[in-house]
Amino acid sequence: MNAYTIRAHGIGKRFSKKFLFRNIDLELRMGESLCVTGPNGSGKSTLLRILACLLPPTEGTVDHLRDDGIPSTDPWAGYTGPLVNPYPELTVMENLTFASRGNGSLSAGAIIEALGLDEYRNRQVRHCSSGTVQRLRLAAAAVNNPPALILDEPTMNLDDEGKERFERFLDRMRAVRIIIIATNDRSEERICGRVVRLGL
Amino acid sequence: MASEIVRNLRKDIHVEARSRTALNLTLSFSVTVTLAISLASAGARMSPGTLSILLWIVLFFSAMNGLSHIFVREEERRTETFLRLYSSYEAIYLSKLLFNVAFMCIIETAILPLFIFFLQIDVIHSAHFIAAAAAGGLAISSAATILAAMVARAGGRGSLFTVISFPVMMPVIWVAINATTISLDPKAHPSWNPCFFLLAFSGFIVAMSFLLFRFVWLDE
Amino acid sequence: MKWFDRITHSIHILMPLAIIMAFLWAPPADILGESSRILYFHVPLAWVAVFAFAVSGVLSILYLSSKNETKRDTFDAYAHHSAVLGLLFTLMAVITGSIWARISWGSFWNWDPRETSIVIVLLIYLAYLSLRAVIPEPNRKGRIGAAYLIIAMSVVPFFVFLVPRIYESLHPDTIINAERTVHLAPQMRATLIVSVCAFTALYGRLLFLQGRVSSLAQRIEEIYDE
Repeated sequence: MNAYTIRAHGIGKRFSKKFLFRNIDLELRMGESLCVTGPNGSGKSTLLRILACLLPPTEGTVDHLRDDGIPSTDPWAGYTGPLVNPYPELTVMENLTFASRGNGSLSAGAIIEALGLDEYRNRQVRHCSSGTVQRLRLAAAAVNNPPALILDEPTMNLDDEGKERFERFLDRMRAVRIIIIATNDRSEERICGRVVRLGL
Repeated sequence: MASEIVRNLRKDIHVEARSRTALNLTLSFSVTVTLAISLASAGARMSPGTLSILLWIVLFFSAMNGLSHIFVREEERRTETFLRLYSSYEAIYLSKLLFNVAFMCIIETAILPLFIFFLQIDVIHSAHFIAAAAAGGLAISSAATILAAMVARAGGRGSLFTVISFPVMMPVIWVAINATTISLDPKAHPSWNPCFFLLAFSGFIVAMSFLLFRFVWLDE
Repeated sequence: MKWFDRITHSIHILMPLAIIMAFLWAPPADILGESSRILYFHVPLAWVAVFAFAVSGVLSILYLSSKNETKRDTFDAYAHHSAVLGLLFTLMAVITGSIWARISWGSFWNWDPRETSIVIVLLIYLAYLSLRAVIPEPNRKGRIGAAYLIIAMSVVPFFVFLVPRIYESLHPDTIINAERTVHLAPQMRATLIVSVCAFTALYGRLLFLQGRVSSLAQRIEEIYDE
């Protein structure tokens, strides 16, 4: 993958007759990053899901363009968010193996090391703390080596060490990826190049 | 795709093996109902027709008890987005279908011997009896899978599953009862037509479900 | 929708005409006598019940395949309204059928193939409406309802094939052949046709009005929200 672009034009989303947001235009290329902020309920999570092609917008279009500028029919972004729950009955390693589709994925082992999940490899998720589960979510999002990482509240539940590991991890990834983050935490805005504020 | 289906199936088997509530509850239900019928009938001899009706009622309600679990569990534990992210719609549907077919097999394997034993059933044409049970079970589990997905997305209440399944499964139940009755009747000449009908029904429902599944599971 | 409004206004002429023809103009049937007049109500009710089912089904397919959001909402709304009307007509068909069965054959219910089929249609309607009622979000409600109706609709041919083989027929095919009107006296046939048109127009009119009521209710809600 040499070039990947996410282009959003005129995005709007309506739930039960009320528009959450309208007329959002974005274009992101590899190496660029975006932070979406705003008060609770402003639609950050919804916008991220639309950009990850998990939710269709009410208005506008979202395109993931590959090298040749042609929209991909199989948009591919690593996504995670508070509602993405791994299987409680499976271990950390089993969940990660499930998520890894086995086609040119980054070594699950390397990601586990980077995010500090090593000692929890064989622990069932239902016996893990929320911080560990959050690290697992991030690991699953990255394990398939996607060209874009769309992360909703990535540092939720993480302790200081977790946050540090996350930022280092992101730094290693950002050069050849698009990064989109949604957060309530103002201090995280500095991780990204651009900032979009919703709910104004 | 095949490897994705296998991966999903393996995942589901691991998850179920480690929680085991669904299988246990459904089997307990099936055994209890079968015994209830045997005890309540107090050794009365029943006609092939009556026995078939009772058998398929037990199988239907056991299916209603257990076959929605595979989707309802994903909704309850909120793992459905995780699943959706790492698997395609087609693979999800097919792996859940295979799981339900296997689940139904287990249910039937538990119920049929108990039924035959406790109600003292004389199986005259055993090949047809087994074929009817297998084909009927396949048809019920095929229809149940897409309906389970709908019920899970609708909030997962058990009685809703029965309400929406019954009209769709009615043809299966009729034909299966018919075929089973004939296989228990010494005077009848069984044919394989009912089994073909049930297989055709299964194929048809699977095809329709395959097309409709993404609409049922799509995010709004 | 103007043309729909205009055409269904014909109900104001058709229904009185049908009632007059049914009670005054058509002759009583050979064996069943005056009670055969229920034919002119029962058959159209049953016909509309099935027609409404088909309409709901087609609208459901259109709903799932449409890309236009407003059109989709309309398809969904009308599929739902058609199902509610269908349920009403089915119940009335069952009631009139039972009354007629009591008079002609002595008992209210006989598990004849047609009776059984209409009960299945009734069950499908109830299942569809229950499914919709349980889901709060409008998009999800529409999609899952539509998917269910399409599956149920596609299972119906299996019933049509099966039911006559499972249950023996009591329906008066040999006395008054209700479907193939060729066997009816000309006056009876004419009355039946007018009655079928009248009830279809009634269904159409009610559908139109119901559609209007619900879109007005929605509009009021929108204004209220603003």
